[in-house]
Amino acid sequence: MTSESQYDIGIDIGGTFTDLVCRRPGEPMLTTKIMSTRKNPNEAVMQAVRYMVENWQIAPEDVGHFLHGTTVATNAVLERKGARLGLLTTAGFKDVLEIGRQMRQALYGIILEPETPVFLAEGKYRKEIPERVGSQGEVVTLLDEEAVRVAVRELVEAGVQAVAVCYLFSFQNPAHEARTREIIAEEFPDLMVSVSSEVDPAFREYERTVVTAFDAYMKPVIDRYMEQIESGLAEAGIASPLQVMQSRGGLSISAVARKRPVRLFMSGPAAGVIGGTIVGKMAGAQDLITVDIGGTSCDIALVDGGRPVIRSEGRIDGYTVRVPMVDVNAIGSGGGSIAWLDAGGGLRVGPESAGADPGPAAYGKGGEKPTVTDASLVLGYLNPSFFAGGTVGLDVEKARAAVQEKVANPLGLGLEEAALGIHRVVNTQMVEGIRLVSIRQGLDPRRFSLVALGGGGPIHATALARELKINCVVIPRYPGVLSAAGLLAAPIEHEVSTAFPAPLDQLTLPKLREALSDLDRQCAALMAHEGVPADQVGITYFADMWYLGQSYHLEVQIYLDDPDPLARLYDDFLKVHDRVYGYASKAPAGIVNLRTIHATTAEETLGEGAYVAGEGSAVKGERTIRVASEPAGIVASVYDRSKMQVGLRFDGPAIVEQADTTTVIEPGWSGEVAPDGNLVLSWTKGAN
Amino acid sequence: MAGKTIPHEVDPILLEVIRNKLDGIADEMEMTLVRSAFSVIVKEALDASASLFTVAGEPLAQSVAIPAHLSMLVPMVATILRNYPVETMQEGDAYLMNDPYDGASHLPDVAVVMPVFVEGRPIALSAALTHHQDIGGMTPASVPTNATEIFQEGLRIPPLRLLRDGQFDETLIALLKQNVRLPDVFMGDLNAQIACCSIGARRLKDLAETYGGNLLSALFADLLDRSERMVRNAIAGLPDGTYRHELKMDNDGVELDRRLTIKVTVVIAGEEITFDFTGTSPQARGPINAVPAGALGAGFFAIKAITDSSIPNNGGCFRPLHFELPEGSLVNPREPAPVSCRSVTLKAIVGCVLGALREAAPDRVPADASGELMLVHFGGRDESGKPYISSQLLAGGSGAGRHRDGTDVIETDVTNCMNVPTEALEMSAPVRVHSLRLRTDSGGAGTQRGGLGCEQTIEMLSGEATMTYRGERHFWVSPGHAGGSSGAAAAGWIDRNDGRREEMPSKMVTQVRRGDRVTIRTAGGAGYGEPKARAAAAVSADIENGKISQDVAAAVYGRS
Repeated sequence: MTSESQYDIGIDIGGTFTDLVCRRPGEPMLTTKIMSTRKNPNEAVMQAVRYMVENWQIAPEDVGHFLHGTTVATNAVLERKGARLGLLTTAGFKDVLEIGRQMRQALYGIILEPETPVFLAEGKYRKEIPERVGSQGEVVTLLDEEAVRVAVRELVEAGVQAVAVCYLFSFQNPAHEARTREIIAEEFPDLMVSVSSEVDPAFREYERTVVTAFDAYMKPVIDRYMEQIESGLAEAGIASPLQVMQSRGGLSISAVARKRPVRLFMSGPAAGVIGGTIVGKMAGAQDLITVDIGGTSCDIALVDGGRPVIRSEGRIDGYTVRVPMVDVNAIGSGGGSIAWLDAGGGLRVGPESAGADPGPAAYGKGGEKPTVTDASLVLGYLNPSFFAGGTVGLDVEKARAAVQEKVANPLGLGLEEAALGIHRVVNTQMVEGIRLVSIRQGLDPRRFSLVALGGGGPIHATALARELKINCVVIPRYPGVLSAAGLLAAPIEHEVSTAFPAPLDQLTLPKLREALSDLDRQCAALMAHEGVPADQVGITYFADMWYLGQSYHLEVQIYLDDPDPLARLYDDFLKVHDRVYGYASKAPAGIVNLRTIHATTAEETLGEGAYVAGEGSAVKGERTIRVASEPAGIVASVYDRSKMQVGLRFDGPAIVEQADTTTVIEPGWSGEVAPDGNLVLSWTKGAN
Repeated sequence: MAGKTIPHEVDPILLEVIRNKLDGIADEMEMTLVRSAFSVIVKEALDASASLFTVAGEPLAQSVAIPAHLSMLVPMVATILRNYPVETMQEGDAYLMNDPYDGASHLPDVAVVMPVFVEGRPIALSAALTHHQDIGGMTPASVPTNATEIFQEGLRIPPLRLLRDGQFDETLIALLKQNVRLPDVFMGDLNAQIACCSIGARRLKDLAETYGGNLLSALFADLLDRSERMVRNAIAGLPDGTYRHELKMDNDGVELDRRLTIKVTVVIAGEEITFDFTGTSPQARGPINAVPAGALGAGFFAIKAITDSSIPNNGGCFRPLHFELPEGSLVNPREPAPVSCRSVTLKAIVGCVLGALREAAPDRVPADASGELMLVHFGGRDESGKPYISSQLLAGGSGAGRHRDGTDVIETDVTNCMNVPTEALEMSAPVRVHSLRLRTDSGGAGTQRGGLGCEQTIEMLSGEATMTYRGERHFWVSPGHAGGSSGAAAAGWIDRNDGRREEMPSKMVTQVRRGDRVTIRTAGGAGYGEPKARAAAAVSADIENGKISQDVAAAVYGRS
């Protein structure tokens, strides 16, 4: 996708660090981390550009693609920095946003908190419009256009900066919403508007209202943010357009992305999963579980057949938002998770975390509670003088004291036994979390390979894989900057969907083709902004399907080139239903939504040249580690990752140290440095 | 592994590992159960739950979406074990039952129980409970509010063997399908229950392969003992004493003018707690009687709500709790009293228990919630003659706590159902929904205001349907706490096509026809503290956002 002489730049802004990677085809990847500027995220982007020019001597005009993963959308919600929003609804339904589905998350709670994102538009900012469309799309009450004008004037008068419109059954007949949008444009041409039939044309009015309201809420923020970065790039002399990662794992040019801000929620994590997908493919694996373990959480995602699994809705700040995104699931277990004893004398780990401050006891910043990281030190996994490349000193004695006093003594266990216990418990939690994520998709984790990311992933990877009966683990060359690296290889992708309620036995092929080609026209219009030749764009179709009478649906791919596409669709639906739910009956089924996805081909590698390791001995020494299968301790060789040559083979027990992580290779595993520099670990003790 | 010696003292690490695994298995079972179900009530209201049991019938791990299901399977599993002793069970068996006079709760709740075999020996039971959309009887959906005998409420299934060698008992299946209104939906949900139990069994077997059946059984026993110890500690932390509370219920749906009393005396003595319901009204003629499973669940919920939430949830938690349930009363009726609408009573029971415990734990219990989950079913035929059943469930407001307002329209205590979206209702039945709004002024006034109830109007678009309405709090509302006011009462009426307006009593079964409009109002939660002490800014915001009217602001909150 890039001419030979040009650089692709990937920038991923996270909570603490902004990661920068830079690559020219065939050359080694350049990477660095700079501190994020939370108040003004685009400042970090500009710093990264300066860093690139000054330290890597890359001329701005040599930048071919400027790719960006951002948390700005999520932060706007967490910090309540979105627009003052007005909401227009069908008469009678202005409180749908506030009432929601009336269910509480705290099952045994009795002093309750609101479950709906009322902050988006409190009662005074919600207006009812006389109009009504029926369940078949028929107009029951004509749109009261004057009421729209009056309502919008009042809202603007009250200081509203953006408007969301959600009428009942607009997914069946969008005419009233479309006309409302026109009227608003007549009244206030600059007011930002999101209408539900465009944002999320699917049934259930509360869910549609929420996603539409979030979209409008973030529009001004995203718009301003993109504009700042674009003008910054222009100032720096970078002519290539800004492309941003969307929640589904595809890139979009900013001109399109800013019009669909709700699709940016998982921008950063999605890029990480794409990076993990590529690394897995480089190791020859198409079915992957990516496990990203940080200080407070463990993010789990699935890749099935080389494609990241997409979920139809996600959670943002505790609210369910119905927008497709890479299925990244966080569980509250990480390196900072605190080990404690419950009132029954049971050893528990998390969900409370010591975070970065005070952090684990070993940080010596006043933390006295034992964490998973402290246990890792006691067990010999971490090198106290080479943690985070030697930038953070670890105090082994403080770690030992914390585990001894808070866990080992009260349980009557030895120090190492207690530390190993902490690992066994936290690993079990992660294993159950990974199982639930894969079982929810009806996928058996045993046939997957595990890609370990983040500072903590490689410490736990072989232990988790054993319990999941996974035989292959991949440790990327740069587990710490994989989100940014993933940007470089992600496809450009646009997606358009529509409600299309149709029982399969009443649907004809021409009708289906007509609906899909209509979607294709809309999607092609989005793709036209990207400047990609049409022959590089692949089109795939999907239907959300259910048994008639069911209310959950499943995504099934449509193959129009099959001899009998409708029969194939039904058969495939049965297969997916059987996979996900464990049974499939020959009952009548129907389509709920149709979707088209236009995407460039995803790359198979990160596009670097051959990996070249540094000079010198790869083996640094050895130390005793303790693992579940060798609780009394076993001597492990310690390797320096930067000096491990391509093709180097070694057996566990072993430790591989590098600046951004430490890999623990338990006995029974062997490792090899792949040509691309990734570390591929295999279980060698026979079949499961 | 079968002959492996059991360690003298169980390894605390392994214990926690196994506990996490059991919780994971229960969650996986529940996920399967809900997502593969056919009926609206399971999918939208999550009225289904999954559990693992010891072979002695104590719950090992539960995944419940509705707290009322906490422990609800316990007496059902006990009945199945009594009728089919575990040593007579075979691999490939499954059992089912729904008879409330033999351990179940009401007829739509059908339990499926499957033994889990390791090396030819049962080591646990895998169980699924689902509220089926219809189990026959006098009205569609099988919760007739005017029943006077259980025989009118549907099919009573004694404990029976459903599967042998993994095959259905076809005689039983034929009989079941012939007696329910929507046999395909019934079978779909039953298959989901079997899938749920099978997954639990499969994963437990995997676990036994690693650790051995004997070791697992020993760990199960220890897990229960540990939870028991933790609950005992928690109870010991509450002040000893005798605490009383009393609530009224509207009526039983049959004798409309008779208010009913739920009364509880909670005695906390050391590390044990007793819930004595002496003084509760005699059993009702109408279907709101709650067999003992109800009071047990309410007691367990209350203890779980006010004690340490990190206590692992299993059968050990229930051991220090004792119940006195007078025979022939609302909380322990005699056969054949009708029971189908007992969930209104469950909410009253748990409200009453929490009210009593507020005295023992004043910071942890808020003012009373609305205490209702309004349920309405429409059953009829659409224009093409196809039968349909459609339902709506609407909550009221929660009670205000000492430091925060109550929440508007939120499910509380033992129930946790989603409402049915307007678009789902209109797509499944010939009705038009005209509104869903918050009820201004319905939250009980207070320094902290109670949560608001809501109002919905539904119009029939064609033909004729049987409407079953089950409300509560039409005639009696809980007083507020510490100077706060009660929330607004619930209400309902039908605007008939010919212009007449009929008030709906708190429970009724009636016919509705094309053009009739049904309006339902749910109750508000109670307030906490003197209204005049409410912050002026909060009163202003409430006016702007439509939570209270100007009149109430002036009259009750003293806003000038």
